[in-house]
Amino acid sequence: MDFDALLLSRIQFAFTIAFHIIFPSFTIGLASYLAVLEGLWLTTRNETFKTLYLFWVKVFAISFGMGVVSGVVMSYQLGTNWSVFSAVAGPVIGPLFAFEVLAAFFLEASFLGVMLFGWKKVGPGLHFASTVLVAFGTLTSAFWIISANSWMQSPSGFAGTVEEGLVAVDWLQVIFSPTFPERLAHMVLAAYLTTALVVAAASAYRLLRDATEPESAMALKMAIGMLAIVAPLQLLVGDLSGKDVLKHQPAKLAAIEAFWETRTEQPFHIAAWPDREIEGNHWELSIPKIGSLITAGSTEAEVQGLTAFAPEDRPPVFIVFWAFRLMVGLGLAMIALGFWGAWLAWRGRIARSPAFLRACVAMGPAGFVAVIAGWVVAEVGRQPYVIYGILRTEDAVSPIGAGSVSASLLAFLVVYGIVFSVGALYILRMLAEGPLAGAHEAPPTEDRPPGWALGAAPENPGGPEDPAKPAPREDR
Amino acid sequence: MPDIIEGPPEADAPPRPLARRLAWFIGLALAGMAATGAVAYSLRALLGLE
Repeated sequence: MDFDALLLSRIQFAFTIAFHIIFPSFTIGLASYLAVLEGLWLTTRNETFKTLYLFWVKVFAISFGMGVVSGVVMSYQLGTNWSVFSAVAGPVIGPLFAFEVLAAFFLEASFLGVMLFGWKKVGPGLHFASTVLVAFGTLTSAFWIISANSWMQSPSGFAGTVEEGLVAVDWLQVIFSPTFPERLAHMVLAAYLTTALVVAAASAYRLLRDATEPESAMALKMAIGMLAIVAPLQLLVGDLSGKDVLKHQPAKLAAIEAFWETRTEQPFHIAAWPDREIEGNHWELSIPKIGSLITAGSTEAEVQGLTAFAPEDRPPVFIVFWAFRLMVGLGLAMIALGFWGAWLAWRGRIARSPAFLRACVAMGPAGFVAVIAGWVVAEVGRQPYVIYGILRTEDAVSPIGAGSVSASLLAFLVVYGIVFSVGALYILRMLAEGPLAGAHEAPPTEDRPPGWALGAAPENPGGPEDPAKPAPREDR
Repeated sequence: MPDIIEGPPEADAPPRPLARRLAWFIGLALAGMAATGAVAYSLRALLGLE
């Protein structure tokens, strides 16, 4: 393997984007969760919702900050490492990124300040509006980013060639490219599932220590409710997205399913060892005919295999095949966890089942792993193209030396390792302490300037320092 | 150390005047936007971009 600028740039982009996607996939769901918590507090005045809000908003603030920092790196990388891609596709894809920054990111950044520092200052109504706007901003951000990526998967609404550059001729087709709606729904639901799993894990961890903590019990019920509804829905949306792949990226679908021959009655490979060298699978555990049924809706449907494409046009099969199975396997585990939790909640035992609570803790990172695995399927499956069918990845890289990319990659590894480890550890420590840590502390006392009218009054009336309080009798 | 994240007003606290609340709302939103812009332009300057 030759570690040239192309391979190093691909490693760098994969590393930084895999790190980055962890944060938005969490904050998209968390922002909506905060809006729900605040709305419930406003309507019911139940203090549990307020305590949960004040706890999770801290986690949100740190995660949002780390998401911003890691996201900025991505945009600069498009210019430094992928300048040919930027030059060719910039007139089409650039405005989508610009809209993401202007319409979404500024919305989030502006109203996050009100969310964090302004509840007393602006009052409950305007504060709730800010929380909703931040949640809307995160969803808008997802809209534009998925729009840009979907255009790279199934480009439409443009004219021109790689040599002369691409230009948009129909912006609606650019924004709403054929695979966009299903991919947006798939990503947003994935974000909600990721958040629900983290909330469930943190709450279950607390309940394993104190089964009577009402805040954690409430948060666990909300998270499990979300899982029980959204996880099965995600399976359906994922299937729709898969049908798009069959239609617009048949080589990717063949790699996902390790299909080599074009035929009807394709088998479904539960597990296999695909190998590009032998153009087949070393071994496979399969169900006959089901592959055609799942991918094309009928066992009689003919589905293309990888040998229908020239070897240089095939994506890496092994990675795509196993990343897809990891994603789907975790998705099925989420459905099972949701149904298990819903059954326990119906029986009134959700907070008192140690086996279930331990399962929730174990599944805490599953959403992040599934999201990264899903993006590996999407991005590696699009290879050898960066813009599917238009621009090859090897032609999109900047004319820079391997030394420059190695140096920046090493810097990223070190900086990310330090900054994000510290951030992640801080969040984990906060989650372990739970929503009640610091929630019932006394408010900070104001400084008492000389001559203040109540300067002589005790800071803690009735407390041990209060001279008016009778001294305890020592003869008791 | 006091918590920098502000909680809701007390249930029995009288509401502040609307004009003052709106002023804080707009001020905090603009401050957030300005902070984001400052970071963005600092990064551009750091990279030597026009």
